[in-house]
Amino acid sequence: MSDLGVKAKRDGQCIIVFKPSGKIIEVEQGTLLLDAARRAGVEVITPCGGFGRCGRCKVQVEMGEVARRQSAHLTQAEIDKGSALACMTVVKGDAIVYVEPKEKVKLAPPLETAAEKIALPIACEWQRNPRIRKYYLEVEPPTLADATNDLDRLRRELKLQHGVEKVSVSLPVVKNLATALRQDGWKVTTALEYDGDDQQARLIGVLSGDRSSTSWGVAVDIGTTTVVVYLVDLLTSKVVDAATAYNGQINAGDDVISRIIYSQRGDGLAQLQGMVVKTINDLLIELGGRNRVKLPEINEMVVAGNTTMTHLFLGINAKYIREEPYVPVTTHPPVVRAAELGVRINHEAGVYAFPSVGSYVGGDIVAGVLSSAMFQTDKLTLFIDVGTNGEIVLGSADWLMTCACSAGPAFEGAGVRDGMRAIPGAIEEIWINTESFEPTYRVMGNLPPQGICGSGLLSALAELFVSGVIDKGGRIRRELGTPRVRVGEHGAEYVVAWASETQDEHDIVLTEADINNLIRAKAAIYAGFSVLVNSVGLTMADVEQIYIAGGFGRHINIEKAIQIGLLPDMPWDRFKYLGNTSALGAYTALVCQDMRSVADEIAAKMTYLELSADNSFMNEYTSALFLPHTDMTAFPTVADLLENTREKLVLTRGSSVV
Amino acid sequence: MPVTVQTPVEKWNGAVREVTLGATKADGGTRGRTVTVGGSATLPFLHFEGAIPNRPVIAIQVQDIDPLDWSPTLRSAWGDVTKDVLKWAAKAVDLGADIIALNLRSAHPDSGNRGPEEIAETVKSVLGAVDLPLIIYGPGVPEKDNEVLVRAAEVAAGERVAIGLCEQNNYRTIVAACLANGHVAIARAPIDVNIQKQINILMSDMGLPLDRILMDPTTGALGYGLEYSFSVMERLRLSALQGDGMTQMPTICTIGDEAWRAKEAKVSQGVPEVWGDFAKRGVVWETITATTLLNAGADILVLRHPQAVENVRKAIDQLIA
Amino acid sequence: MALSGLEIYKLLPKTNCKECGQPTCLAFAMKLAAKGAELSACPHVSEESKAALESAGAPPIRLVAIGSGDQKFEVGNETVMYRHEKTFYHQPGILVRVKDTQAADAVVVTVQQVQNYSVERVGINITLNGIAVENASGNAQTFAKCVELVRSKTDMPLVLMSQDPAAMEAALAAAGDSQPLIYSATAENWEAMAGLAKKFKAPLAVYAADGLGGLANLTDQITKAGVADLVLDPSAANVNSTLASLVQVRRHALRKNFRPLGYPVITFPSRLASTTEEETVIAAQHIARYSGVVVLDNFDPTLIYPLLTLRQNIYTDPQKPIQVKPDIYTFGDPGDKSPLLITTNFSLTYFTVAGEIEASGIPTWLLIADSEGMSVLTAWAAGKFDAEKIAKTVKTSGIADKIGHRKLVLPGFVAGMSGEVEEELPGWKIAVGPREAVDISPYLKGVWSPD
Ligand code: SF4
Repeated sequence: MSDLGVKAKRDGQCIIVFKPSGKIIEVEQGTLLLDAARRAGVEVITPCGGFGRCGRCKVQVEMGEVARRQSAHLTQAEIDKGSALACMTVVKGDAIVYVEPKEKVKLAPPLETAAEKIALPIACEWQRNPRIRKYYLEVEPPTLADATNDLDRLRRELKLQHGVEKVSVSLPVVKNLATALRQDGWKVTTALEYDGDDQQARLIGVLSGDRSSTSWGVAVDIGTTTVVVYLVDLLTSKVVDAATAYNGQINAGDDVISRIIYSQRGDGLAQLQGMVVKTINDLLIELGGRNRVKLPEINEMVVAGNTTMTHLFLGINAKYIREEPYVPVTTHPPVVRAAELGVRINHEAGVYAFPSVGSYVGGDIVAGVLSSAMFQTDKLTLFIDVGTNGEIVLGSADWLMTCACSAGPAFEGAGVRDGMRAIPGAIEEIWINTESFEPTYRVMGNLPPQGICGSGLLSALAELFVSGVIDKGGRIRRELGTPRVRVGEHGAEYVVAWASETQDEHDIVLTEADINNLIRAKAAIYAGFSVLVNSVGLTMADVEQIYIAGGFGRHINIEKAIQIGLLPDMPWDRFKYLGNTSALGAYTALVCQDMRSVADEIAAKMTYLELSADNSFMNEYTSALFLPHTDMTAFPTVADLLENTREKLVLTRGSSVV
Repeated sequence: MPVTVQTPVEKWNGAVREVTLGATKADGGTRGRTVTVGGSATLPFLHFEGAIPNRPVIAIQVQDIDPLDWSPTLRSAWGDVTKDVLKWAAKAVDLGADIIALNLRSAHPDSGNRGPEEIAETVKSVLGAVDLPLIIYGPGVPEKDNEVLVRAAEVAAGERVAIGLCEQNNYRTIVAACLANGHVAIARAPIDVNIQKQINILMSDMGLPLDRILMDPTTGALGYGLEYSFSVMERLRLSALQGDGMTQMPTICTIGDEAWRAKEAKVSQGVPEVWGDFAKRGVVWETITATTLLNAGADILVLRHPQAVENVRKAIDQLIA
Repeated sequence: MALSGLEIYKLLPKTNCKECGQPTCLAFAMKLAAKGAELSACPHVSEESKAALESAGAPPIRLVAIGSGDQKFEVGNETVMYRHEKTFYHQPGILVRVKDTQAADAVVVTVQQVQNYSVERVGINITLNGIAVENASGNAQTFAKCVELVRSKTDMPLVLMSQDPAAMEAALAAAGDSQPLIYSATAENWEAMAGLAKKFKAPLAVYAADGLGGLANLTDQITKAGVADLVLDPSAANVNSTLASLVQVRRHALRKNFRPLGYPVITFPSRLASTTEEETVIAAQHIARYSGVVVLDNFDPTLIYPLLTLRQNIYTDPQKPIQVKPDIYTFGDPGDKSPLLITTNFSLTYFTVAGEIEASGIPTWLLIADSEGMSVLTAWAAGKFDAEKIAKTVKTSGIADKIGHRKLVLPGFVAGMSGEVEEELPGWKIAVGPREAVDISPYLKGVWSPD
């Protein structure tokens, strides 16, 4: 062990060899690996300032003995392979340590295209009873001898060639029929729609030529802030591509209430419907172009949205959603044809909207519960959808409780000065050095930053807090003596990126008002599920798994979400990030129509808790308006982290941190 | 078989923290005595359950400017001394105050707008005139509070006075002044357990030791929100006993301010006859507000009327006996 | 012990048939847990479940009625130690005592004073609850006569105070079927008193000189003898030991579900006091600390009024958001050119805004709208602070007669609705104030002008 070469060493000293640079240093036993590296002139990056928070100073101990402090950033497997956090590891004896050269660390992993990863979230027999079935037909042209009309001719061939007996038809298809049949020499592909187990088929499209090797559908999540469209190959059940954009209604107001108010003015309702339909059409055009899919060949559409979005999309009066006693016009909207809505897919394509529970728990949540499979599990599950409204579902196969709270759009990047959607150019993660208060950030797509997306905001809030830039009340400490903190025209702010680093040359900042917005948003959500859990006489500790859905971009950093008190302080393996469960639910019901009746059951079973009915929400909300929470005992790991950070600062600065 | 009954005692993991006001010569001040409050390891006055090392105390409120707007009941009870804060404070001592609560009302823009230097003189002379521990209240306007309380804290350095009020959006200056001069700071929250705890935490995060914070959860007078104060104080005490260090500060209630703001205490004409005798009503209002909150966990009661002081002291005697 | 919503749900059919009027069985279970529904509303509960739910629902503190007719009052059936945990349900009866040694007209005067005393607070008339008649003479006939006299003047509930079963019987006979509270059964006389309680179907107060142990033994024996409606007198030698007893009785009942002490209590503050003022102070403490029947020795409106106010305060439901009264509030001495602000009636909102206006030193009118106790954003989100509500508040408040200008300042958080408010309030200018209360002072000083 002591044969690492060089020279005779003194007692209690250890020799550390750093690879690949080959630098060697002799240090006292008990020295921090980070300090050893620095003294040896080996650069180890420490975005958090060496407080074990970011896990980015990971090194490989190839040989020798070290003592690690436990860290959530190391799995047991990694430890077994020799990984260690340089800032949390001390030297026990001679060692060889591999430090990843800096340039390599900087390279962010390539952006995976979203669609590749999307799979059917729950098991279902989607092939059993496909809703859309396409049949290729070669039809004998009519003659004077066989002068059967076009439609009956088509019907006859459907029966002869494919055994389809009963077919209903609507006028638009009939209008188009003559041309379609004759365009390509009486070779056509018919698209039939089968509703449930009904044997009656509805003819929704006739296209010339053989188009039976493709069948398209779209699943749409209409969020208050963002709209997402999945293009789905109905023959394989795969999502081929996905696209997203801000809901065009955003110009009419940030939240559902503003939209409802807008809808009550003049032709406001029609305007809003037009805005969201345009958003969807634009996305469809984008997807169609990219994937060479003609929009009229899309034969089915499933949408999931909150109750207000669903009403507005369908052009249903949303006024009473907002007024006591808060009743929507319908929780189970009928299937409509795309043409009625102006959606530019096959005019006759059916558009199915998810059923909702009530005014404040909509089809998006029913879709979320469906796709999460929590309605099938025995484990007590908490489902949290973080969006403009925070919707929360608690329960299992036995029962389901739900509530909604108004979180505001902060975590979707809206309502925050430099907030943006999770698209390339968005800062998606931030670390702040505890000693210098300098930030390090990662940008989606490795571009110069343009703004901060939801996950970036969440990590910024956590880092600002843990590094001590803001106090527990969310107030920026103006006396820190760093140029990063300044009082701008919008009050106190922290500069995340200087203009020179950014795409459009403006300082990317987080203002105190932004911070308060984020705190309010996280408090509303935390209070929502606290009240929900308490309302049935349970405690947070009873919850066995937590599913998170919502608009955080690509991921949610559980650790940071706990640090700010958005999520409860629980072992990380109880959390699972499910992504956009509303879109996933829509996708599920698109490929597997059996799931539509399951969705109905879920909607009927969910018990809605009205939060404003008593004082407990206000109480929980006020107590959550603090970082991480007024009740620190509910956040033991955060308390530990703060204590460790403080101790370490006292050590390094030799003074109190005040 | 006879039923047996065991005393139903609850197990608590915490106690209210002891806070001492005033410093004698031995501790670097000039007070004749100190007052220690808090320390209860049980709910108010449940002697069978836990130690109650210190009795609740009474602070008598005096003002550095004649309170012309006070109720005639109060003004006639005090007589001429209200014109001179030193005489007023001396009389309060005679009436058996444990603490003198000095209101620097004259610094208020509406009643003199005195500056920090004049205020410093007032504080010095009151400290010279009486040797009880002091509570010093600013005029309640954030900028003026910060300005005059900082000077007051400086001239009272070492006397361990209590200084207020620190509120969620204005606490840093006052806490810093208390830190620098060895005083106790009073944390006020608007009848809300969570906000009270938050301001306590923020103040302690500045490095102010926990035994130098008093909490004032805001007093609602009888008929004017008393029940909210009562419940907030009960919740704070329960939380303190359950071991939450951030709610273990002793509680101070500004009874006089609130009780004498009530219509019952202020208005003699045109009110229902069933309200009874105006001359007695204000005193009863102040007394009942005080004794009710005493039972919710008040450690320091800031009172105005000499008869209320008398009544409340008797009640404390009975409860502590 | 009370069951939680989930525990109740487990006993329901779980079919979500909606016949109970609730959307799901779980919703119904939660209503039951909150005592907001009757089990009978579900036609499908099994007999087994019914039995289980009913036994779990038995109150740990018995509900006892005192008196008969319109003016009777009920005490007990409390479920919490601290009012913030839920609420205190049955406020204590406050009674005034007369003695059978007093002159008849003195007795009549007191009875009439008590009977007629009524005061309005926050829209509710509050009154005293009855008369206690004490057998101070030791003579059964005198006692009975006095009770008869009192009965002739009032239908209010009575407490009959005598340790002598013979005197009590005479008095009970004089009291007719008014179901007065018999005070009291003791270790010496309990069998006779229990007999009277049964005979006259009257509730029975129990007193034991040897503390709660003795009291529990007595009630145990008395219930076995067939009397169920009991009231405990847990009083002890001094103020603080009485307070301790009151707390202990409540803890025994609620924390341990100890049936022998699961009854409401009666207290006599005057026994611990040397003056009327002292009696009031002690009575106030008993009201706040669980007493169910408070018997005063003296009638003095100045002292009665604060006690009734306190009782109303303590028995207010704390689950309701803290509200202030919708009204016009003034700061300083506002004139016809002073600014007019509007906000909601959630008291925290009010306090914050009021504090900032006061701090600004600018005389100001503040209009408080009835938002059912919600803060500005919550109320707006819930439609309780919309243009219509604001317009209505302005119109009904009469503020237009007090000011010369026509300009209303909205909270900054609802800036978006200023157009609508303008539509609803023709002739008014709608200005947008700051979002946060801390900015009110600069706004009033720098931005506001009446034109
Ligand atoms: S009536 Fe009974 S079974 Fe039907 S929903 Fe209500 S509780 Fe459930």
